[in-house]
Amino acid sequence: MIKYGAVMVLAVAAVFFAAGVLYAGVQPNKEMQALMDSYLAAAMKADPGFKGFSAEEGKAFFNAKRMHSANKEERGCTTCHTTNPANKGKTTVGKVIEPMAPSINKERFTDPAKVEKWFKRNCSWVLERECTPKEKGNYITYMLSI
Amino acid sequence: MKRRKTILTLLAVCLLIAGFVAGPRALADDDERGEGRERGERNERSGYKYTVPQLPAYSQECGSCHFLYLPGFLPARSWEALINGSDKHFGEDLALDAAAKTELLAFLTANAAEKSGFKWSAKILKRLGNETPTRITELAYIKKEHRKIKEPVFKRPSIKSRSNCGACHPHGSQGDFEEGAVVIPAK
Repeated sequence: MIKYGAVMVLAVAAVFFAAGVLYAGVQPNKEMQALMDSYLAAAMKADPGFKGFSAEEGKAFFNAKRMHSANKEERGCTTCHTTNPANKGKTTVGKVIEPMAPSINKERFTDPAKVEKWFKRNCSWVLERECTPKEKGNYITYMLSI
Repeated sequence: MKRRKTILTLLAVCLLIAGFVAGPRALADDDERGEGRERGERNERSGYKYTVPQLPAYSQECGSCHFLYLPGFLPARSWEALINGSDKHFGEDLALDAAAKTELLAFLTANAAEKSGFKWSAKILKRLGNETPTRITELAYIKKEHRKIKEPVFKRPSIKSRSNCGACHPHGSQGDFEEGAVVIPAK
Protein backbone atom coordinates (compact mmCIF):
# COMPACT_ATOMS: atom_id res chain seq x y z
CA MET A 1 0.00 0.00 0.00
CA ILE A 2 2.78 2.39 0.95
CA LYS A 3 4.56 1.56 -2.25
CA TYR A 4 1.43 2.27 -4.28
CA GLY A 5 1.03 5.67 -2.58
CA ALA A 6 4.61 6.64 -3.37
CA VAL A 7 4.16 5.69 -7.01
CA MET A 8 1.00 7.83 -7.19
CA VAL A 9 2.79 10.83 -5.70
CA LEU A 10 5.60 10.38 -8.19
CA ALA A 11 3.20 10.04 -11.09
CA VAL A 12 1.32 13.21 -10.15
CA ALA A 13 4.61 15.07 -9.79
CA ALA A 14 5.71 13.82 -13.20
CA VAL A 15 2.48 15.02 -14.81
CA PHE A 16 2.89 18.49 -13.29
CA PHE A 17 6.51 18.61 -14.38
CA ALA A 18 5.65 17.64 -17.96
CA ALA A 19 2.85 20.21 -18.06
CA GLY A 20 5.23 22.89 -16.84
CA VAL A 21 7.78 22.02 -19.52
CA LEU A 22 5.20 21.87 -22.31
CA TYR A 23 3.48 25.07 -21.25
CA ALA A 24 6.27 27.63 -21.34
CA GLY A 25 4.19 30.65 -22.38
CA VAL A 26 2.59 33.49 -20.43
CA GLN A 27 -1.11 33.42 -19.49
CA PRO A 28 -3.10 36.56 -20.33
CA ASN A 29 -4.83 38.31 -17.44
CA LYS A 30 -8.63 38.54 -17.25
CA GLU A 31 -8.85 41.82 -19.18
CA MET A 32 -6.52 40.60 -21.90
CA GLN A 33 -8.40 37.32 -22.19
CA ALA A 34 -11.59 39.33 -22.75
CA LEU A 35 -9.85 41.29 -25.50
CA MET A 36 -8.62 38.06 -27.10
CA ASP A 37 -12.14 36.64 -26.92
CA SER A 38 -13.48 39.71 -28.70
CA TYR A 39 -10.81 39.31 -31.43
CA LEU A 40 -11.78 35.64 -31.74
CA ALA A 41 -15.49 36.43 -32.07
CA ALA A 42 -14.74 39.06 -34.74
CA ALA A 43 -12.39 36.73 -36.62
CA MET A 44 -14.99 33.95 -36.63
CA LYS A 45 -17.64 36.36 -37.84
CA ALA A 46 -15.39 37.41 -40.74
CA ASP A 47 -14.50 33.81 -41.55
CA PRO A 48 -16.88 31.09 -40.26
CA GLY A 49 -14.19 28.45 -40.90
CA PHE A 50 -11.68 30.20 -38.62
CA LYS A 51 -10.10 27.67 -36.28
CA GLY A 52 -8.32 29.85 -33.73
CA PHE A 53 -5.20 31.96 -33.34
CA SER A 54 -1.77 30.66 -34.24
CA ALA A 55 1.57 31.65 -32.79
CA GLU A 56 3.18 30.54 -36.06
CA GLU A 57 1.07 32.93 -38.10
CA GLY A 58 1.72 35.66 -35.55
CA LYS A 59 5.46 35.09 -35.95
CA ALA A 60 5.22 35.30 -39.74
CA PHE A 61 3.19 38.51 -39.43
CA PHE A 62 5.74 39.96 -37.00
CA ASN A 63 8.60 39.23 -39.39
CA ALA A 64 6.86 40.35 -42.60
CA LYS A 65 8.02 43.50 -44.40
CA ARG A 66 6.03 45.85 -46.55
CA MET A 67 6.91 48.77 -48.82
CA HIS A 68 5.33 51.98 -47.54
CA SER A 69 3.51 53.75 -50.37
CA ALA A 70 4.49 57.30 -49.45
CA ASN A 71 7.89 56.84 -47.78
CA LYS A 72 9.19 54.23 -50.24
CA GLU A 73 10.88 52.23 -47.54
CA GLU A 74 10.40 48.69 -46.25
CA ARG A 75 8.71 48.61 -42.91
CA GLY A 76 7.72 45.89 -40.52
CA CYS A 77 7.35 45.21 -36.80
CA THR A 78 11.01 44.19 -36.82
CA THR A 79 12.15 47.62 -38.07
CA CYS A 80 11.89 48.83 -34.48
CA HIS A 81 11.41 45.70 -32.36
CA THR A 82 14.21 43.59 -33.97
CA THR A 83 13.51 40.01 -35.10
CA ASN A 84 13.64 38.76 -31.52
CA PRO A 85 10.77 40.08 -29.33
CA ALA A 86 12.81 39.17 -26.25
CA ASN A 87 15.34 41.85 -27.17
CA LYS A 88 15.15 45.58 -26.67
CA GLY A 89 14.37 47.53 -29.80
CA LYS A 90 14.90 51.05 -31.05
CA THR A 91 12.59 53.53 -32.77
CA THR A 92 13.64 55.09 -36.07
CA VAL A 93 14.97 58.10 -34.17
CA GLY A 94 16.95 56.07 -31.68
CA LYS A 95 14.70 55.78 -28.61
CA VAL A 96 15.08 52.44 -26.84
CA ILE A 97 11.97 50.21 -26.77
CA GLU A 98 11.63 47.67 -23.97
CA PRO A 99 11.21 44.03 -25.09
CA MET A 100 7.81 43.02 -26.46
CA ALA A 101 7.82 39.48 -25.04
CA PRO A 102 5.76 39.38 -21.81
CA SER A 103 7.98 36.61 -20.46
CA ILE A 104 10.79 39.18 -20.37
CA ASN A 105 8.78 42.37 -19.88
CA LYS A 106 5.89 41.73 -17.48
CA GLU A 107 4.10 44.97 -18.38
CA ARG A 108 3.46 43.91 -21.96
CA PHE A 109 -0.04 42.82 -22.98
CA THR A 110 -1.65 43.52 -19.63
CA ASP A 111 -3.73 46.62 -20.50
CA PRO A 112 -6.23 46.25 -23.38
CA ALA A 113 -6.54 50.02 -23.93
CA LYS A 114 -2.78 50.33 -24.31
CA VAL A 115 -2.61 47.31 -26.61
CA GLU A 116 -5.36 48.67 -28.85
CA LYS A 117 -3.76 52.12 -28.87
CA TRP A 118 -0.40 50.81 -30.04
CA PHE A 119 -1.91 48.46 -32.61
CA LYS A 120 -3.66 51.48 -34.06
CA ARG A 121 -0.51 53.61 -34.22
CA ASN A 122 1.89 50.93 -35.39
CA CYS A 123 -0.37 49.04 -37.81
CA SER A 124 -0.93 52.35 -39.53
CA TRP A 125 2.86 52.92 -39.66
CA VAL A 126 3.60 49.51 -41.16
CA LEU A 127 0.48 48.57 -43.11
CA GLU A 128 -1.18 51.96 -43.72
CA ARG A 129 -4.39 50.49 -42.31
CA GLU A 130 -5.70 49.07 -39.06
CA CYS A 131 -4.84 45.46 -38.24
CA THR A 132 -7.64 42.90 -38.42
CA PRO A 133 -8.81 41.08 -35.27
CA LYS A 134 -7.22 37.91 -36.67
CA GLU A 135 -3.84 39.61 -37.12
CA LYS A 136 -3.99 41.08 -33.62
CA GLY A 137 -4.97 37.74 -32.07
CA ASN A 138 -2.18 35.89 -33.88
CA TYR A 139 0.33 38.57 -32.90
CA ILE A 140 -0.56 38.40 -29.20
CA THR A 141 -0.63 34.59 -29.30
CA TYR A 142 2.91 34.64 -30.68
CA MET A 143 4.08 37.13 -28.05
CA LEU A 144 2.56 35.11 -25.22
CA SER A 145 4.25 31.95 -26.52
CA ILE A 146 7.79 33.33 -26.28
CA MET B 1 68.21 70.75 -1.55
CA LYS B 2 66.04 67.79 -0.64
CA ARG B 3 63.41 70.13 0.83
CA ARG B 4 63.35 72.23 -2.34
CA LYS B 5 62.75 69.12 -4.42
CA THR B 6 59.85 68.13 -2.17
CA ILE B 7 58.25 71.58 -2.49
CA LEU B 8 58.67 71.51 -6.27
CA THR B 9 57.05 68.07 -6.45
CA LEU B 10 54.16 69.21 -4.27
CA LEU B 11 53.69 72.28 -6.46
CA ALA B 12 53.62 70.15 -9.58
CA VAL B 13 51.01 67.82 -8.06
CA CYS B 14 48.85 70.80 -7.01
CA LEU B 15 49.04 72.27 -10.52
CA LEU B 16 48.08 68.93 -12.03
CA ILE B 17 45.03 68.62 -9.77
CA ALA B 18 44.01 72.23 -10.45
CA GLY B 19 44.32 71.59 -14.16
CA PHE B 20 42.08 68.53 -13.98
CA VAL B 21 39.41 70.32 -11.98
CA ALA B 22 39.40 73.71 -13.71
CA GLY B 23 40.37 72.76 -17.24
CA PRO B 24 37.17 71.16 -18.50
CA ARG B 25 35.07 73.80 -16.77
CA ALA B 26 36.99 76.66 -18.35
CA LEU B 27 36.44 75.05 -21.74
CA ALA B 28 32.82 74.27 -21.03
CA ASP B 29 32.06 77.88 -20.19
CA ASP B 30 33.05 78.88 -23.67
CA ASP B 31 29.92 78.40 -25.71
CA GLU B 32 31.58 78.79 -29.08
CA ARG B 33 34.80 76.89 -28.62
CA GLY B 34 33.24 73.95 -26.84
CA GLU B 35 31.06 72.73 -29.68
CA GLY B 36 32.29 69.93 -31.85
CA ARG B 37 34.60 68.71 -29.15
CA GLU B 38 34.02 65.11 -28.30
CA ARG B 39 34.21 63.79 -24.82
CA GLY B 40 33.77 60.12 -24.26
CA GLU B 41 34.02 59.59 -20.55
CA ARG B 42 32.57 62.50 -18.62
CA ASN B 43 28.94 62.40 -17.73
CA GLU B 44 28.49 65.17 -15.20
CA ARG B 45 25.62 67.50 -14.65
CA SER B 46 26.20 71.22 -14.98
CA GLY B 47 25.02 73.55 -12.25
CA TYR B 48 21.78 74.33 -14.09
CA LYS B 49 18.68 73.12 -12.25
CA TYR B 50 15.21 73.11 -13.70
CA THR B 51 12.08 71.29 -12.58
CA VAL B 52 10.82 69.58 -15.71
CA PRO B 53 7.01 69.60 -15.99
CA GLN B 54 5.70 66.03 -15.98
CA LEU B 55 2.59 64.35 -17.35
CA PRO B 56 2.32 60.53 -17.62
CA ALA B 57 0.30 60.75 -20.85
CA TYR B 58 3.03 62.91 -22.37
CA SER B 59 5.73 60.40 -21.42
CA GLN B 60 3.74 57.50 -22.87
CA GLU B 61 2.27 59.02 -26.01
CA CYS B 62 5.31 61.04 -27.06
CA GLY B 63 8.26 59.74 -25.09
CA SER B 64 7.78 56.13 -26.24
CA CYS B 65 8.96 57.05 -29.72
CA HIS B 66 11.34 59.97 -29.32
CA PHE B 67 13.18 62.17 -26.86
CA LEU B 68 10.68 63.72 -24.47
CA TYR B 69 11.10 67.29 -25.64
CA LEU B 70 10.52 69.76 -22.86
CA PRO B 71 7.35 71.78 -23.46
CA GLY B 72 9.52 74.91 -23.18
CA PHE B 73 11.17 74.11 -26.51
CA LEU B 74 8.21 75.47 -28.49
CA PRO B 75 5.68 78.29 -28.23
CA ALA B 76 2.06 77.39 -27.44
CA ARG B 77 0.98 77.93 -31.06
CA SER B 78 3.42 75.25 -32.19
CA TRP B 79 2.11 72.71 -29.68
CA GLU B 80 -1.42 73.45 -30.89
CA ALA B 81 -0.33 72.81 -34.47
CA LEU B 82 1.39 69.56 -33.46
CA ILE B 83 -1.48 68.14 -31.44
CA ASN B 84 -4.15 69.22 -33.94
CA GLY B 85 -2.09 67.64 -36.70
CA SER B 86 -1.25 64.48 -34.73
CA ASP B 87 -2.86 62.26 -37.37
CA LYS B 88 -0.10 63.43 -39.72
CA HIS B 89 2.81 63.69 -37.32
CA PHE B 90 5.74 63.84 -39.76
CA GLY B 91 3.98 61.19 -41.81
CA GLU B 92 2.68 59.15 -38.89
CA ASP B 93 -0.78 58.83 -37.35
CA LEU B 94 -0.32 58.98 -33.58
CA ALA B 95 -3.79 57.53 -32.95
CA LEU B 96 -4.54 60.00 -30.15
CA ASP B 97 -8.13 60.00 -28.96
CA ALA B 98 -9.94 63.26 -28.16
CA ALA B 99 -9.33 62.96 -24.41
CA ALA B 100 -5.58 62.41 -24.89
CA LYS B 101 -5.36 65.38 -27.25
CA THR B 102 -7.08 67.67 -24.75
CA GLU B 103 -4.91 66.50 -21.88
CA LEU B 104 -1.67 66.81 -23.85
CA LEU B 105 -2.50 70.21 -25.29
CA ALA B 106 -3.44 71.68 -21.89
CA PHE B 107 -0.14 70.47 -20.44
CA LEU B 108 2.00 71.57 -23.36
CA THR B 109 0.53 75.05 -23.70
CA ALA B 110 0.62 75.67 -19.94
CA ASN B 111 4.36 74.95 -19.98
CA ALA B 112 5.22 76.29 -23.44
CA ALA B 113 8.21 78.52 -24.16
CA GLU B 114 6.33 81.76 -23.34
CA LYS B 115 5.84 80.71 -19.71
CA SER B 116 8.16 77.80 -19.02
CA GLY B 117 10.98 79.49 -17.12
CA PHE B 118 13.27 77.05 -18.95
CA LYS B 119 16.64 78.65 -19.64
CA TRP B 120 16.61 78.02 -23.39
CA SER B 121 13.00 79.06 -24.05
CA ALA B 122 13.76 82.77 -24.35
CA LYS B 123 16.69 82.11 -26.69
CA ILE B 124 14.49 79.95 -28.92
CA LEU B 125 11.64 82.50 -28.93
CA LYS B 126 13.98 85.39 -29.72
CA ARG B 127 14.92 83.84 -33.06
CA LEU B 128 11.41 82.81 -34.04
CA GLY B 129 9.51 85.81 -35.40
CA ASN B 130 5.97 84.93 -36.45
CA GLU B 131 6.69 81.37 -37.52
CA THR B 132 4.90 78.38 -36.06
CA PRO B 133 7.65 75.78 -36.13
CA THR B 134 6.86 72.13 -35.49
CA ARG B 135 10.27 70.54 -35.96
CA ILE B 136 12.38 71.26 -32.88
CA THR B 137 15.58 70.10 -34.54
CA GLU B 138 15.06 72.79 -37.20
CA LEU B 139 14.62 75.71 -34.81
CA ALA B 140 17.02 78.52 -35.74
CA TYR B 141 18.51 78.62 -32.27
CA ILE B 142 18.96 74.83 -32.04
CA LYS B 143 20.54 74.75 -35.49
CA LYS B 144 22.94 77.54 -34.55
CA GLU B 145 23.98 75.71 -31.40
CA HIS B 146 24.70 72.50 -33.35
CA ARG B 147 26.24 74.06 -36.45
CA LYS B 148 29.70 72.70 -35.68
CA ILE B 149 28.58 69.12 -35.26
CA LYS B 150 29.12 67.36 -38.56
CA GLU B 151 26.30 65.34 -40.11
CA PRO B 152 28.05 61.91 -39.82
CA VAL B 153 28.18 62.40 -36.05
CA PHE B 154 24.36 62.44 -35.93
CA LYS B 155 24.33 59.24 -38.00
CA ARG B 156 26.43 57.24 -35.53
CA PRO B 157 24.56 54.07 -34.45
CA SER B 158 24.13 55.21 -30.86
CA ILE B 159 22.82 58.60 -31.96
CA LYS B 160 20.89 57.80 -35.17
CA SER B 161 19.20 61.17 -35.61
CA ARG B 162 19.20 64.83 -34.60
CA SER B 163 16.10 64.22 -32.54
CA ASN B 164 17.85 61.76 -30.22
CA CYS B 165 18.83 64.61 -27.89
CA GLY B 166 19.51 62.30 -24.97
CA ALA B 167 22.32 60.53 -26.83
CA CYS B 168 24.65 63.50 -26.34
CA HIS B 169 22.75 65.40 -23.63
CA PRO B 170 22.55 62.63 -21.00
CA HIS B 171 20.88 65.05 -18.58
CA GLY B 172 18.69 66.69 -21.19
CA SER B 173 15.58 64.98 -19.89
CA GLN B 174 16.20 66.87 -16.63
CA GLY B 175 16.48 70.11 -18.56
CA ASP B 176 20.27 70.26 -18.48
CA PHE B 177 21.46 71.16 -21.97
CA GLU B 178 24.55 73.01 -20.77
CA GLU B 179 27.65 72.69 -22.87
CA GLY B 180 29.55 71.22 -19.95
CA ALA B 181 27.09 68.33 -19.61
CA VAL B 182 27.45 67.22 -23.23
CA VAL B 183 28.98 63.82 -23.99
CA ILE B 184 29.17 62.86 -27.66
CA PRO B 185 29.39 59.07 -28.05
CA ALA B 186 32.28 57.98 -30.25
CA LYS B 187 30.26 55.32 -32.08
